[in-house]
Amino acid sequence: MPQRASLSRVGRRGLLKALGGAAIALPFYQLLAPRPARAEVTAKRVIFFYFPDGVALPSGGQSLEDDFHAQGNGSSFTLSKQQEPLAPFKDDCVFLRGLSLGPTDSNSHPGGAKKLLTGVDGGYGQSLDQFLAQTAGASSPWHHLYLGAMSRKSKDAPLAADAYISYPSPGQSIVPEDNPLTAFNALFGAGAGKPGQTEPDPTDVSIIDGVLDDMTSLKARLGTVDESKLDVHLEALREAEKRIKTVGQPVPATCDSPVAPGVDEASLYKDELFPDILRAQMDLMVLAMSCGLTRVGTLQASYHTSELIMSRFPGTEMYAPNFDMRSHQASHYGSAGTDLYGHFKKQCRWWMSQLAYLLDALDKRPDGDGTMLDTSLVVCCTEVSDGNTHSHDNLPFILGGRANGRLSTGRALSYDGVRHSNLLSSIAHAMGQNVCFGQECGGPLGAS
Amino acid sequence: MKKAPLARRLVAAALALGLPAVAACSSSPDDTGTDPGKGDPTNGADLYAELCASCHGNAAEGGLGPRLAPWTRSFEELASTIDATMPQGEPEKCEGDCASDIAAYLTSLTLDCDSARALPRRLRLLTRREYRATVTDLFHASMPTACTADADCNLGSESCTGGVCTADPCTLHTFVYEAGAQNPTTVHVAGTFNGWPGTIAGGGWAMQKLPGTTTWYVKHELAPGSHEYKLVLNESEWLADPANPVQVGDFGNSALTVSCSGNTPGAGGLGFDPAKTFPAESRPTGFPFDNSEGALATNVHVDQYWQAASLLTDAAMTDMANLLPCDLAVDPSACASDFISDFGARAFRRPLTETEQAKYESLFAKAPDPETGIRIVLRTMLSSPLFLYRSEVGEPLGDGTYRLTPHETASLLSYMFWGTMPDAELFAAANAGDLDTPAGIEKQARRLLADPRSRPVFETFAAQWLGIEQVPALSKTAALFPEWNDALAASMVEETRRYFTHVVFDGTHKFEDLLVSDTTFADATLATFYGVSPPASGFGEVPSPDNRRAGLLGHASILAVNAYADQSSPIRRGLFVRRSLLCQDLPPPPANAATVPAVDPDATTRERFAQHTSDPACHDCHQYIDDVGFGFERFDATGKYRETENGKPIDASGDMNDLEGLGTGTHAPFKSLRDLGLSLSKSPTAKACFARQTYRFATGRLESAEDVCGLDELAVAFEQSGGDIQELWIKLTTLDEMTRRK
Repeated sequence: MPQRASLSRVGRRGLLKALGGAAIALPFYQLLAPRPARAEVTAKRVIFFYFPDGVALPSGGQSLEDDFHAQGNGSSFTLSKQQEPLAPFKDDCVFLRGLSLGPTDSNSHPGGAKKLLTGVDGGYGQSLDQFLAQTAGASSPWHHLYLGAMSRKSKDAPLAADAYISYPSPGQSIVPEDNPLTAFNALFGAGAGKPGQTEPDPTDVSIIDGVLDDMTSLKARLGTVDESKLDVHLEALREAEKRIKTVGQPVPATCDSPVAPGVDEASLYKDELFPDILRAQMDLMVLAMSCGLTRVGTLQASYHTSELIMSRFPGTEMYAPNFDMRSHQASHYGSAGTDLYGHFKKQCRWWMSQLAYLLDALDKRPDGDGTMLDTSLVVCCTEVSDGNTHSHDNLPFILGGRANGRLSTGRALSYDGVRHSNLLSSIAHAMGQNVCFGQECGGPLGAS
Repeated sequence: MKKAPLARRLVAAALALGLPAVAACSSSPDDTGTDPGKGDPTNGADLYAELCASCHGNAAEGGLGPRLAPWTRSFEELASTIDATMPQGEPEKCEGDCASDIAAYLTSLTLDCDSARALPRRLRLLTRREYRATVTDLFHASMPTACTADADCNLGSESCTGGVCTADPCTLHTFVYEAGAQNPTTVHVAGTFNGWPGTIAGGGWAMQKLPGTTTWYVKHELAPGSHEYKLVLNESEWLADPANPVQVGDFGNSALTVSCSGNTPGAGGLGFDPAKTFPAESRPTGFPFDNSEGALATNVHVDQYWQAASLLTDAAMTDMANLLPCDLAVDPSACASDFISDFGARAFRRPLTETEQAKYESLFAKAPDPETGIRIVLRTMLSSPLFLYRSEVGEPLGDGTYRLTPHETASLLSYMFWGTMPDAELFAAANAGDLDTPAGIEKQARRLLADPRSRPVFETFAAQWLGIEQVPALSKTAALFPEWNDALAASMVEETRRYFTHVVFDGTHKFEDLLVSDTTFADATLATFYGVSPPASGFGEVPSPDNRRAGLLGHASILAVNAYADQSSPIRRGLFVRRSLLCQDLPPPPANAATVPAVDPDATTRERFAQHTSDPACHDCHQYIDDVGFGFERFDATGKYRETENGKPIDASGDMNDLEGLGTGTHAPFKSLRDLGLSLSKSPTAKACFARQTYRFATGRLESAEDVCGLDELAVAFEQSGGDIQELWIKLTTLDEMTRRK
């Protein structure tokens, strides 16, 4: 008989209400800070970095040396071949093995994508990035930034909602912004309110007040009709209001003079330019954070089962000019020794090189006594563990950055079958939100 | 032949004997050693969605598996059946409490179709296409340019239609020749699109001279793609188009490219696309359309709406005389008051309340000058939720349900048929109370349907239902398919859009004609690909090549999108038939499902897949998928016809078993794609599915228990009308579900 928790339909809001906002003992606490640090210190920002279709794990029957996971425990461990690009940041990361997304939809890519950041069976909940946007991120000009690289096939091509990982309210995902220039313009250009403005634009103030007035009367008139839909909209309007009305906000020292991304619109959905697009989006995310525009970001590289032709990436070890190797096809490598297997491992290595780029971009920017890498938390995730089996067990989560001292890095940790919602709670704690997030938390988790 | 699993054989046997299917599989609780108890229906709903809905339908209304609601027999019988046999092939996944909970949920579903039926009260966020069309109408109607001839309009981009200058569609090209002192007797256009005729009688496109000028022009439909041409004076002197700087080839032909990408309906009137950078709509699993009722406005949306409002306002305010109903300089506050009530009633699609009128007047009054006041009013309205959502909230009827207001009904109709805000006549009908009766609604619905403005919406419906919006984004392996290019892909999509609207508006209106036909639509590009003679010009009706492509199933758009880059895909094509045409969803593939079998130079695709799905574990589901998909095998990954593959003849015969649902035991043997289309065209399940897809598009809902009565009524009416698609849309507008809320 299947095990089934009783919280399945309790969304984030419901759960928070049920908990009455009480601080819950944090099972992952050891993960975050082995010696309890000053509790008021939190990570300054968090970036969720998503890549599709899992990694190569021994569940497909191949030899152990090809396991994606780091080998060893605690501070004594070695990186796998797939993780090689992370070698320069080995001491800045925590490599987690054994975490499980739970049994629901456990054979499915979309099922995994839905559970990944919501942490609930079936995925019917608010995602952690959106929860943090409403809480830790709510004081920033932009509560949340969701950037994508080819997160759909073309600008106008539709995609199923379960291809995305960010859910403002249960069951409703949103689509990332795939165009770095559009996002840049919103952050630094034509949008409402400018960072560092000396006085609010009186026209803008009148307009946002007028719009908010329409919204609040509408909500009052409708009561509970479409309440959660209007709540999301209202919050977004309040965010704009704050950007419009805030003056004299000092621009952080970490903020470089913003330069518009150099990716043109015609290039946004060309497989061979994917590396450029992803890099532009990572640069923009780091730029926005360095300028204090947001504390919570989600980077979605491609989408599950996308068939991105990674063999067209120039200058990479995957490059094969006369052959189109599609990413999802490669993930079904069958067994060790196949061509697909060889290619898939190269793909995984490439995703890790992109994570390394992001960590490096953070590390290049000074912040306080250290760098932005010291004060940030990067959560690297994918929706299945072994791409070949679609397993939802033994997920390859990697945490990067020291989370402003909350995370003790340079370790490999094992959690045999523990639900990943515990990790999501730990991330919430690192961001100063002492809640139990998702389906399940409270299983005894050691830091070993 | 491999034997079906026991449970299925029992179901089939039970149906053959005329017994209730599930009863045949039932066993007493003692047999399974569990006591189901009463079950928790709330948990059961979740479990149902997870474990059962893919086969039995989201609302237990039936899909590939039998219908379960309303359940007319006992709870115990249902619980023990689920316990012992479900889910199909994996009964161990749901036993004991799980089975009782689901049974409790299913027995709680009562279908009372006789009393008042209503959908939830709600707001629907404008989609990008609706936003574009709405703002175009909103501003265009304030600035109509009257005309009596094309020459009164911007000749190159507008035509005089119905006394008003309207933007040309992207495929309507205008050739203009400034003759100066030449004074020719005739001028015509000859090129790749009409076979380079030397004379007008031979098919040249004659240009006409604008009265009182030396300017000649002609407007003509051109297919998306590249064209070469020359102008011919007096049917003897050939010259490159002096107005076109692009010349190619040894003869210096003029060249032009027609592309409709980025050129969306409605955008033409504004000169820019205000929704260009709006976030794309996300579509819930199983819902193929862009207008899901759950759509959310995020921080990015709010910022984009803000920017668009600013751009639109700037553009509108360059012509204040057209924007305002009065002279702002004479009596600013009176003029602003008029503008607020006039423009506001159109922007919010209903008259403003007194409070709203006063609030906008006060926004105007607080501005430093009248012009800024108008700017603030306009931008506020365009960012207001009252503009961005169309309301389906209704007013109370006193019995706990609500009825849409006349203005809400007007919007419902206009967005359903035209994808935009109501026109003056609909507003007038709403104001006059004509939309309070079913007859009044039907009258307006018939008017909207008959107007050419409904065609783009039907084309959108077809493209989204059939999933062909992805075609322009497809990449096909160049080494294998050198013919594949953007122009060809665009022509493929255009074929399907035109074919669909042709059947609905110009043909018989019958569903069966979507799937069986002796003709299709092509331009020169697609005709070459299909191997048929091109039409005289642009897109035209052509004979279906060798009757191989009889109806939609043979459209290259559908064949290419349901294929891989380097090979066809019997699985994707079979799933397309089951999901899109029959509404028979199937569970996702299990863990460890193998991937596409590797290309084998010595085997046909069918041979490779037959091997792969002969595995009993795969066969359970794939018998419903692959056998159908093999019927498409005479078409390669791009939709090109082939008779052999790797030197071997292709076998495109098969049997679409259980066409009317799992366990019905029906057979639909076929030898070709034409046979397959014929079976589907006559299938009650296919017709009911088409009605359901139309309902989804019109309501923005993926059906749940609240929709089952309406879907049933719609399917019956559609069948009774002989599958008349126009009558289906009209029938939709009369359903309780369209105008009642709760």
